[in-house]
Amino acid sequence: MTNDKPVNLAVELGPLRLENPVMVASGTFGYGQEYAELVPPERLGAMVVKGISLEPRSGNPPPRIWETCGGMLNAIGLQNVGLRAFLEEKLPWLKPLLVPVIVNLFGNTVEEYGKLAAALDGQEGVAGLEINISCPNVKAGGMTFGSDPEMVFQVVSAVRSRTNLPVITKLTPNVTDITVTARAAQDAGTDILSLINTVAGMAVDVQTRQPRLANVVGGLSGPAIRPIALRMVWQVVQVSRVPVIGLGGIVSVEDALEFLLVGAKAIQVGTANFVNPRVTLEIIDGLEDYLRQQGLVDINEIIGTLEIPEQSQGADCR
Amino acid sequence: MLLRNAEILFNDRVSSELYHMGLLCPEIAARIQPGQFLMVRVQEGFDPLLRRPFAVHRIHHNDPPTSFEMLYRVVGRGTRLLADMQAAASLNLLGPLGRGFQVPDHDGFVLMVAGGIGIAPLPHLAETLVSSGFRGPFVLWFGGKTATELVCVKHFKDLGFAVQLVTEDGSEGRQGLVTGHLEQWLSQQGELPKVMYSCGPYPMQRLVAEMAARLGIPSQLSMEALMGCGVGACLSCSLRCRPLEDGPDPHYLNVCQDGPVFAGEEIVWE
Ligand SMILES: Cc1cc2nc3c(=O)[nH]c(=O)nc-3n(C[C@H](O)[C@H](O)[C@H](O)COP(=O)(O)OP(=O)(O)OC[C@H]3O[C@@H](n4cnc5c(N)ncnc54)[C@H](O)[C@@H]3O)c2cc1C
Ligand SMILES: Cc1cc2nc3c(=O)[nH]c(=O)nc-3n(C[C@H](O)[C@H](O)[C@H](O)COP(=O)(O)O)c2cc1C
Ligand code: FES
Repeated sequence: MTNDKPVNLAVELGPLRLENPVMVASGTFGYGQEYAELVPPERLGAMVVKGISLEPRSGNPPPRIWETCGGMLNAIGLQNVGLRAFLEEKLPWLKPLLVPVIVNLFGNTVEEYGKLAAALDGQEGVAGLEINISCPNVKAGGMTFGSDPEMVFQVVSAVRSRTNLPVITKLTPNVTDITVTARAAQDAGTDILSLINTVAGMAVDVQTRQPRLANVVGGLSGPAIRPIALRMVWQVVQVSRVPVIGLGGIVSVEDALEFLLVGAKAIQVGTANFVNPRVTLEIIDGLEDYLRQQGLVDINEIIGTLEIPEQSQGADCR
Repeated sequence: MLLRNAEILFNDRVSSELYHMGLLCPEIAARIQPGQFLMVRVQEGFDPLLRRPFAVHRIHHNDPPTSFEMLYRVVGRGTRLLADMQAAASLNLLGPLGRGFQVPDHDGFVLMVAGGIGIAPLPHLAETLVSSGFRGPFVLWFGGKTATELVCVKHFKDLGFAVQLVTEDGSEGRQGLVTGHLEQWLSQQGELPKVMYSCGPYPMQRLVAEMAARLGIPSQLSMEALMGCGVGACLSCSLRCRPLEDGPDPHYLNVCQDGPVFAGEEIVWE
């Protein structure tokens, strides 16, 4: 069944067209420059840059990471150069690249999200916005925006009304039912959903009896979270009218295929970049090989083609 | 920055927990500057997940250089996996990374200070100074818990270094901590060093930096941090440094990219 015809990897996510479905995840690829010697940005489907806020942020004190079984905890504290330095120092390098650059953004208040969206709207070199809603809402006692459907609606509406760029809303897994926040983002007009952000976690040094992270708690990423991410992407795909980007623990082409099969139109690779900086290129090549092996010519032929044997449907309690 | 498989030439136990690994990788060998480091993938799988940072210990000075060495201490899972590797196996390396030591502008008195495995990056620096024609005098102060930690002393002596040893248990050299003896010794010398290079645990580095500042000696310290990427992409490896004018405070720099070598006065000690 193998074919040697050219295969198509291009996908369309609403208003966003990607040459291939493999993106890099925010916070794990800097501003692209850091890895440019090893990964030509042009080969990626899209690049999501480190999350930015209106003002520069120092981030948390160290230690900021801790390795766990098949994963890592991080509490970077959203350290970033701020909007002005991003526009003046980072964007000029990104602008000429022939790859869609997605700017990940976050605020302390709904108004800050709106201001950022307005400032980035129409900036040459910015192909879309990804809203990080996994941050504390300063006005609501520090509860994260992303865990409250009403706040999600407000944040996404604030961004949506201030930009014509494609808007991606990045959902947090730290909720009881992710389809509820997915619907809220959709109702507020997001073009695309991406999920998942990191899973809240913690680790302790039993010798010193102190937490491993100075921030006490952090976000778990890496292969350890992949089954959780995959299950959530599958759930969201069932209820979503907009395209979904899947991420969380992807380290290989098989992992990427799992997400595409359950219905993600594209995937992002995060922590795996640290382990194997060229992993995205290997996944892109691997997707072509998979299509050829399957005798297919277009990646869109496999997206959302999960086959569930009849007898295994319906059981809700396990 | 390169991503390459190196061939393990040897992986020898030097003392109870210390290992010496020789690696063949001409492209990386040709680029390494003293004080730079590598992110090593200790196995092919994903648990343990992250690469481990290691300094380059020495370059083999054939021309052009094709191989180099690491000196490492077994402290956990990753280094135990490294210790089990055999010659002829391959090891995936990302590097060379970071800003290393700066060679002084003029010849003169150079002091190096090492605590324990902090000796690792100094032979490459010492060899570079000697092969660039510097005549010194060169002095190494080297402290460890016990005598078996004090490795490659002969190598420094062969390069023309005067070596002062200190052990916590008194099994070799003076007893105590390097920083407990160094300042008094310095006060007895006719001249002060032009520069101090130091690598070791954080408390030692702090004392060295404070002493250097008191005496007006420029210091260059190789610092450690937990690292995710090693290339400046993840912002994991932060070290608190002096804030920039109207920049945010606290000001964190990345050990992997802005360092690992910092000038003593850059660091805000905590
Ligand atoms: C720039 C730099 C150069 C280094 N050079 C050397 C060297 O030449 N020789 C040597 O023996 N050691 C060196 N180290 C320390 C070495 O990286 C750690 O000992 C090693 O990562 C421990 O891994 P492990 O899995 O055995 O330990 P574990 O404790 O199981 O590791 C758990 C996690 O903590 C990290 N970690 C643990 N200790 C350290 C540490 N001291 N510094 C940074 N990360 C740590 C590991 O990388 C891993 O992510 C260097 C560290 C840095 C930052
Ligand atoms: C060090 C680090 C920094 C991150 N920074 C951001 C960020 O700024 N904004 C964001 O939306 N997600 C951030 N993330 C989350 C990732 O983009 C991704 O959602 C998560 O790590 C799960 O994917 P992975 O398992 O492939 O890493 C960060 C993750 C890590 C590990
Ligand atoms: S280890 Fe990632 S920024 Fe330094």
